[in-house]
Amino acid sequence: MRLVKDFFKGFFKGMKNFGTNISMIVNSILLSVVYFVGVGLTAIFAKLFRKKFLDLKLNKQVKTYWKDLNLKKKKIDDYYRTF
Amino acid sequence: MYILGISCYYHDSSAALLKNGKIVAAAEEERFTRKKHDNSFPINAAKFCLKSQGISIKDVDYVGFYEKPLLKFERMLSQHMQSFPKSLKTFLSSMPSWMNEKLRIMSPIRKKLKYQGDVLFIEHHMAHAASSFLVSPFKKAAILTVDGVGEWTTTTYGLGEDNNIELMKEIKFPHSLGLLYSTITAYLGFSVNNSEYKVMGLSPYGDMNPLTNKYYKKLQKVIDVKSDGSFKFDMSYFKFHYADRMPSKKLCQLLGSPVRKGESEVGQRHKDIAAALQMVLESIMTKILNHVHKVTNCENIVLAGGVALNSVYNGKILKNTPFKKIWIQPNATDGGTSIGVVSYIYNVILGKKRTFVLKDAFLGPGYSTETVKKFLDKNKIKYSTFKNDKELVDTTAKLLAESNVIGWFQGKMEWGPRALGSRSILSNPCNPEMQEILNLKVKHREKFRPFAPVVCEDDALKYFDCDKPVPEPTDYMLMVYPIFKEWRKKIPSVTHVDGSGRLQTIRRSQNKLYYDVIKKFGSHTSIPILVNTSFNIRGEPIVCTPHDAYKCMMGTGIDYVVMSNFLIKREDNQRDIWDSEKLAID
Repeated sequence: MRLVKDFFKGFFKGMKNFGTNISMIVNSILLSVVYFVGVGLTAIFAKLFRKKFLDLKLNKQVKTYWKDLNLKKKKIDDYYRTF
Repeated sequence: MYILGISCYYHDSSAALLKNGKIVAAAEEERFTRKKHDNSFPINAAKFCLKSQGISIKDVDYVGFYEKPLLKFERMLSQHMQSFPKSLKTFLSSMPSWMNEKLRIMSPIRKKLKYQGDVLFIEHHMAHAASSFLVSPFKKAAILTVDGVGEWTTTTYGLGEDNNIELMKEIKFPHSLGLLYSTITAYLGFSVNNSEYKVMGLSPYGDMNPLTNKYYKKLQKVIDVKSDGSFKFDMSYFKFHYADRMPSKKLCQLLGSPVRKGESEVGQRHKDIAAALQMVLESIMTKILNHVHKVTNCENIVLAGGVALNSVYNGKILKNTPFKKIWIQPNATDGGTSIGVVSYIYNVILGKKRTFVLKDAFLGPGYSTETVKKFLDKNKIKYSTFKNDKELVDTTAKLLAESNVIGWFQGKMEWGPRALGSRSILSNPCNPEMQEILNLKVKHREKFRPFAPVVCEDDALKYFDCDKPVPEPTDYMLMVYPIFKEWRKKIPSVTHVDGSGRLQTIRRSQNKLYYDVIKKFGSHTSIPILVNTSFNIRGEPIVCTPHDAYKCMMGTGIDYVVMSNFLIKREDNQRDIWDSEKLAID
């Protein structure tokens, strides 16, 4: 009885690991496609049009790096949004 | 009215509950799941909050979340598009959690919490600002938030007045003091979002003179700082915007060697780099604070964000800037934003008056004497019972004076990363060997790390060169001050190499028994100061339940645990002894 129990315990553990590995492989393939097609094409077009997504350049000439934020109380509806 | 605040999916998930304007419960998820810095949905912490008030989720009027997830996702995508194709690896590793959890935050709120009401999303740095200002004793205060990164923002300043907050200016990702500190933490071989405080503790061993520390000049090359404290990084020295490794090859070349490997020896150059980093941070923070004072013309300052846990710098703020009063909440890092969220919804969005000031950090689970007794009896643990509080205080103080190490488990668990007298390990600071005993036998941690002293608030100025009056954040172990020279040799176990101590002050109104034990210890030794370190093994969260506390004692060199009004001696329970050393990994 114990042998059978141990067998099924090991079997289910193995199946779980197998499932995890398969999903990792499928995820990686699908996400790689998204990365090269979606992110990649956007990045290439952005480079063509000189669009910068992050502000990486230093500017020794400016007096300050502080940017206006002016974040204060908004209408309650704005807080229901996730953006 | 009940409002539940949630913070999760980055690090240190937490939940907090507000009842009619008062924070009545708050806890971090790690204390329940026993996974340090657990970032999963804080279902256990939320359940505790509700249970503590005897209510169900149906009684909650609003649930608040500590950030705007879509804005954060936009920043993530921007990072990947900016860094294409270098960011492939991080894209593959980070996207599944975005798809499964972070973008679907409504799912666990609806399914796990079974909550069907309104959910409000507060900007991350606003949640930080609210977590500090709205529960502070100030009617009006300048606000500075500094952390790794929220949605896009890494640093903000503004002004709080009554129940309004305005954040005026910001610095955006990737320029971040929190991420600079984390990058050097990673370079020094310590774990990110965990061991930054070790680097802070390591810094006094290095050369703290900016004129002679060669790494200070080198680190200055990495950052362009303006006179108003605003800053930008030369990103060629960093990789955190596209890779999971934080320092770039160029930074390693600048600092003269590759990243230190985890358990290898910490050399003098590592100490000098830690010192240089601390000096760079302090110099920038001082410039920022001077600028914030100039703009806001306010003499009170509240701080929030992970950088506000830099207690070494916090202790210098009032001396180095025009601010007269300071306040920081005990859980200033991301975990603490859940109390910011609930306060912001109640006071700002709903426009209710502020009536609550956070006076202590005891917001977590507590266990009654009956519950503790049941646990001890059920597990056949040998213990003795104190007749009354006086006997408890007298016995504990005597054991401490005899240099025993005591686990102190009393009342409600602390809110935040520090043990403040509910889940603490206490010992005798006058014993010169105590630091080594605690580091090696109990905490299994690096030798260089100092221990914190706890002193009654009315005695603090006798031993410590504090600001006057002693600022309230000192109650939360958030300020490091010099120990007066004449006392340093008398309390060697809590005196750091530079003669400072990260003290905790305690008021009797906050924790009567704890206060009385310290005073009574003083009557035995003539020094009313104890060593206070968190009740845990290195790499584990602070203990939460009686079971956690007992297990921790039996796996370490703790001699006794004073749990509620019971005294448990390790030697009396030989059968449960185990060795925790192999678990002590960060």
